[in-house]
Amino acid sequence: MGGGVGLRFWVNVFAVCLLSVCVLCFVRGVFAVTFQEASDQVAGADQALRVAFNGVLDAEQSGANVSVLLPRLNEAGVALSGAEVALEAGNYSDAVSGALVCKSLASGVGDDAVVLKNGAVAAWGYWWVTVLLSVAASVVFAGAVFLVWRWFRRGYMKKMLGSRPEVTG
Amino acid sequence: MWSLNDHRTVFMAVGLIGVLVCCVPSVMLFARLPGGEKFSELYVLGPGRMAEGYPYNVRENESYLVYVGVGNHMDSSSYYVVYVKFRNETEPLPNATSGTPSILAPLFEYRLFLPDGQSTEVPLSFSFSGISFFDNQSTVRGLVLNGVQSNVDKHVLWDAADSGYYYQLFFELWIYDKAADMFVFHNRFVSRWLNVTTPV
Repeated sequence: MGGGVGLRFWVNVFAVCLLSVCVLCFVRGVFAVTFQEASDQVAGADQALRVAFNGVLDAEQSGANVSVLLPRLNEAGVALSGAEVALEAGNYSDAVSGALVCKSLASGVGDDAVVLKNGAVAAWGYWWVTVLLSVAASVVFAGAVFLVWRWFRRGYMKKMLGSRPEVTG
Repeated sequence: MWSLNDHRTVFMAVGLIGVLVCCVPSVMLFARLPGGEKFSELYVLGPGRMAEGYPYNVRENESYLVYVGVGNHMDSSSYYVVYVKFRNETEPLPNATSGTPSILAPLFEYRLFLPDGQSTEVPLSFSFSGISFFDNQSTVRGLVLNGVQSNVDKHVLWDAADSGYYYQLFFELWIYDKAADMFVFHNRFVSRWLNVTTPV
């Protein structure tokens, strides 16, 4: 009886060990990253960051204020630099993690840059309102100055005609 | 006393100035003011973020700190990469005349995005490992930049004129060229000489 319990105990231990080894192998198989995969991810992150920056430049040239986007690009740049360092050091899983963070940040910045650019382009579509207001304000101002001039000239003439000649000397 | 013509001139001047002021918003929509010269700054500061107190005499396993500064005056936001490189006296620096970078591989890099008219400073801590001296030659095996270990394996001979073993830490500024979709050397670099000494 006691020998049977002991055997069952060791069989269970063996089964747990075997299961652990299998799980570890499976996890390693799933999460192991090769140099090529890590390198591809880092290259993709580099490209994503360039695309995001190009989007920011386009938005800026359209007249949008992109100051809120640049700090996020800097964060993505730090992640990419970290990923490149990890890749050089042979730490491929960290390289992939950094590259994914960079891609995620760059993607968000790219989307926001498009929104800002569209807003700036839409605002530019109302340029004629500004021109119209300028013309209207100019006309109103010039008219007001003209009316004041007429009122002033009338008073001036009245004053000049009403004054009596003065003999001097 | 002013004549009527004098007053008319004043009224016309006021009217003209007013009309011009009213037109300014419209003119600004279309007018592009000429920008100044486009350039970028690259500089190194000491540990107190001042142009003083730079590390000069360095020893093994001691940590040193400098700040690398970049300023953008390119009339638009810019994407920079600063490469950190390390050389001995015989290895090439960038060539400012031909605008070519050093052929040495970078040991560390910073990626920086800067709006026009702004500058930023980033810290660089560094320390040396594997320093040895033999006859009149010194060797540096390792350099740690911001916690990242690099094997450099550089040798220099004793500099009798300046009494030291001199290595140079230098920084190159590269800028992203949107049209070419690549980074190009921006023909800016700064360096610091470091005299590697024996432990006290």
